[in-house]
Amino acid sequence: MLIRILLVLAGTLVFCSTHVVAEQTPSAENARVYIIWPADGAVIRGGKLWVRMGVRNAGVAPKGVDIPNVGHHHLLIDADLPPLDEEIPSDRNHLHFGGGQTEARLEDLSPGTHTLQLLFADYNHMPHDPPLYSEQITITVPPY
Amino acid sequence: MNKQIAAIISALMISLPGYISAGDTPAPDNAYLYIGWPNDGEVLYSGRPFRVWFGLRNMGVAPKGVNKPNTGHHHLLIDSDLPPLDEEIPSDRNSVHFGAGQTETMLELPPGTHTLQLLMADYNHVPHNPPVYSKKITITVK
Repeated sequence: MLIRILLVLAGTLVFCSTHVVAEQTPSAENARVYIIWPADGAVIRGGKLWVRMGVRNAGVAPKGVDIPNVGHHHLLIDADLPPLDEEIPSDRNHLHFGGGQTEARLEDLSPGTHTLQLLFADYNHMPHDPPLYSEQITITVPPY
Repeated sequence: MNKQIAAIISALMISLPGYISAGDTPAPDNAYLYIGWPNDGEVLYSGRPFRVWFGLRNMGVAPKGVNKPNTGHHHLLIDSDLPPLDEEIPSDRNSVHFGAGQTETMLELPPGTHTLQLLMADYNHVPHNPPVYSKKITITVK
């Protein structure tokens, strides 16, 4: 009986923990994240570019730094927004800039159209509440 | 003899500040700091605040007090030359600190010509080694 209660408790804890993780860092009301460059519709010859990442009314801090009103940039390439109450995935479509970088060098964009979007996240790679993300823009890489 | 050598060395150190004036926090050799906007020579109009954005490559931004490799925070020098590069950057109206990790700011300046220059500093407000600073630009406010 005791074992069964413990099992139920453990199960509840496991179930709850996924919800507890969803605690999010508040963002400043007037904070805004945007792509400074390139502009929506830009044509990028050669597929190599620096993406300039902008944030207003908030600051940049490396990952792991938990102070108010800061975060770090994530660049979504050819990806829609991920769930905004979970840690942002880290892969070639979701680039993390946990070193506090404010520009991203892209070198291997294939010919065609690509989308870019910024999503800001807290020290835990979790989006803020409310979330701070830029417009999704489309750029075109002409055939080499 | 030893004293003489010591005197010569200290004289050399004083006469060669350019060789020793840098902070202790290393910066990557390829760090590149620049003013993204306004452009050098830009003409702006008084009474209209303008945005200055801070460009930084191959290095990251961290708020003051955060000691992480290859990071620092921005300082904007307004109508001012570079301060000594081995000391804490002064904090006044000609030398504005962005210790909260900001990467842009709004500015309003009186009519006339003005210079703007960026200088990075470490968690202690001391420039890096080598120091990371932008080109100094001149703007005109009409």
